[in-house]
This record gives sequence, structure tokens and C-alpha cells, in this order.
Amino acid sequence: MLQRKIILIWVVWVCITGKIMAQQPTADSTDLMAQLENESASQKTINYTTATFKTTRLVNGHTVENVGKGVLDVKIAHRFGTLNKGGYELFGLDNATMRMGLDYGITNNLMVGVGRSTFQKTFDAFLKMKLLRQSTGIRNMPVTVTYVGTAALMTLKWGDTSRKNYFSSRLSYTHQLIIGRKFSESTSLQIMPTFIHRNLAELASDPNDLLAIGIGGRQKLTKRVSLNVEYYYQIPGYKIDGTSNALSVGFDIETGGHVFQLHFTNSTGMTEKNFVSETSGKWEKGDILFGFNISRVFTIGKN
Amino acid sequence: MVKNTQILVLAAVMFFSASFSPASVYKVTAGSISFRSDAPLELIKAASNELTGLFDTGTKQFAFRIKVNSFKGFNSALQKEHFNENYMESEKFPYASFEGKMIEDIDYSKPGTYNVRAKGNFVVHGVTQERIIKVDLLIKEKSISLKSNFAVLLNDHNITIPKVVHEKLASEIKLEVKADMSAR
Repeated sequence: MLQRKIILIWVVWVCITGKIMAQQPTADSTDLMAQLENESASQKTINYTTATFKTTRLVNGHTVENVGKGVLDVKIAHRFGTLNKGGYELFGLDNATMRMGLDYGITNNLMVGVGRSTFQKTFDAFLKMKLLRQSTGIRNMPVTVTYVGTAALMTLKWGDTSRKNYFSSRLSYTHQLIIGRKFSESTSLQIMPTFIHRNLAELASDPNDLLAIGIGGRQKLTKRVSLNVEYYYQIPGYKIDGTSNALSVGFDIETGGHVFQLHFTNSTGMTEKNFVSETSGKWEKGDILFGFNISRVFTIGKN
Repeated sequence: MVKNTQILVLAAVMFFSASFSPASVYKVTAGSISFRSDAPLELIKAASNELTGLFDTGTKQFAFRIKVNSFKGFNSALQKEHFNENYMESEKFPYASFEGKMIEDIDYSKPGTYNVRAKGNFVVHGVTQERIIKVDLLIKEKSISLKSNFAVLLNDHNITIPKVVHEKLASEIKLEVKADMSAR
């Protein structure tokens, strides 16, 4: 009798425990996924914003972007003549100025570049350094801040050889602090306070130190095409009389390793000193130049 | 008296046997995914060490997930940027994941090598595909190692290849997943 009772108890017990185990909260795959999500949310990581702009130049001036470490960026920039020259000059296409440049990334945050423009036969060299990077996560930084320092050497022969001309008079220096923010996948904006010092001012009434504040942005139209606008406002009292503020509008088209930039601008020069402070063209008069920039990246150094 | 002891012993045995549960949840301690695009004009390889995952041996359910922008390698920094910006759209779809259930019933507490099939929802670029993926499991005393090789068709996940780079990007990407897991 007792044996049977024991067996009965045992059978019932196994059934109960079997049932309990089946009713244990099973780790459903969605529960597991939720657990993974919770764990990664508590992890302390910094997400750095990338690709604020498609390339290192907006139209004429710099963006907050640098080229990557070990990357060589070959830059060819072209500006034709002004549209208001009419049909005989093929609306400016018969005239052209050009800048060839090479940019190189020493690290991901430090790059250098050299270039030579046909306009005033100007050589330029610059150093560009990312000071702050926009990020989210445990460190929240709302903007990317990049410093650009450019030196320009104008090598045209002196017009007046009867006076004493100094080599140093050919030099000018530009310092910019570019502050930019990627607001969304498609919209990025930046402001560019700019300081230019030129060793030689043409007229005694013109200042050697010039100030301007630039504003620019890009709006992505498709995954690979964006609309760019760039404007440099010269601060009154710190500008050369008679010059206009540089305004440029263009499109960026990106394919594989190239970025093509097509734009209209009122500036002929492509060095900061030229387009920020020496633009003579006026949009309202039709002094609009069609131009393009081509950028091709090559990876030289090891990643 | 003897009968009481018998009942007591029986009760003790039943109590202890009921509390032994063979099921446990394993967590990835080291996991990587590497992929390869073998196209006529270009070979692209990249990998990430940030694979995370959980596997419940009792229910055979699993969940794995990896952050898309953690992949490194590529042939240039620009290529990595394009991978994230234009193809994978990592801002919109930060993670790729696979969750589901192992088909075969094996004893996960018994060391050995097994070849099983994982069936579940594979999500890449925000598009879910139900897939059955073969996995090699190496079960050891206190850990499970897995390895799997399979292919992903870019078309299946709405990733378009522009005509310009047709010869530089394979439409079928080969993946290799490796992970070591130990009981949580």
C-alpha cells in the first residue's frame, strides 16, 4: 500500500515539476534582443558624427571636413569668365582661371595642402586641424570646430620696378575657425570667422588686416547630390573699398572616389585672400562665373 | 519508522532533482563578423569585433546583433564613409541582427562538435529576411564556440549598387561569423 502511495506521489511530483519548468518564463528571442539592447544602451560609447560635408571644400572655402589619414586628395578647380561677357565670349567660357592642389591627411584630424592658382600666379599652402568633433553618447559635442591657416604667395612680376619691392610684400596669411554642425542626414551648416593679414595693401587707405564672417551649408537632395551655398560677409572698416562679398551656389555630385562640384560664384580667385577680400564681381550686374571643382582621393599611407 | 525515512529520502531526491535545470543563457564574450565583396574590379574586406549575442540553450532561442558602423578594413577611409552613408545608411539603421531559434534538438551540456541550423529573422539595412543559416557549434565544458559562413544578397535588403560601380561591388557578399560564448 505504502509503495503504491510513494509511486503515486513520485509520479504526481514529476508531472508538477515538469509543468513548472515548462511554464518558466522562457527566454523568447525578442526578450533576448531586448536584453541586448538594454546592455548596449548602458555601455559608455561616444558616437562621432561623420560626413558633415562630402568633401573638404564647400565651394571656394573650406568645410569642417578633413581627409583621412594617409589619403591624398587631388583637387582641380576651374572658374570661367563672367556670364555677362555675352555670346562672343561664350558667356565666359572662353576665359578661365584654374587652381591645382594636393591635400594630404597626416592624421585623421590634421591635414596639409598646397596649391597653385593661375589667378595672380598665386601659390598657397595650408594647415588644417580639427579641434573639436561633433559627437553624441557619453560626450555630447554639438559642433565640429576646425582651424585652417593658409599662407598665400603672389608671384606676378611687379608692375612698378622703379620702386623697392620686397618679397615679403607678396605674402598674405589667412586664419579661419570653421564651426559646423550636422543637423540631420541631409542638412549641415557652418560659420567661418576669417582673419586675413596681407603684408602689402595697394592703397594707404586700405587696411592690412581684414575681417570677414562666412556662412555656408549643404542640403542633400539625393544620396549622392547636394546643394551648397557659401557667403562671406566682410566686416565694414576691415575690408578693401569697392570689393563685394563673395556668394557662391553650387551642387556636389559624388560618385565612387570622385566628388564633382558645379557652381556659380562672383569670385575669380580660389585662395582665401582672393575670394574673401578681393572679389570684385557683383551678382546683380551679371558678374557671375560658372566653375567646377573636381576632387579625387587616393589612399597612399596605410590605414 | 523505515517507511518515514523512505518517504523523506524520496522527497529529498525529488526536491533536488527538480532543481537541477540543464538550460542556461550563454552570452557572447568575443564575437566577430567579417565580410568580403569580390567583384571583377575590386576586392573589399572589412570586419568588426563588436558582435553581441545571447543564446538560451533551454529554449534554443538566440539573438545576435552588431553595430554597422563598427566595421573596419575597407580600401580607404572614403570607402568606409560611403559604406555607412550611402549603402548601409547606418544613421537610419544602426544595427544588423539575427534572432530566432535553432532547429535541431541537441544536448547543449554534452561537449562535442555539432552542425546545426539557425532559423530566424535576419535584418540588414532595415529589411528583414527569414533565413536558415548553418552553424558549426563547438560545445565545451563551460563555453560554446560558433562559426558560420553564409552569403547575403544586397538585393534582398534593398541595398542598391549604382551602375557606375557595378564592377566594383559584388551583389552577393560573403560573411563569416565567429563567436565564443559562455554561460551568463
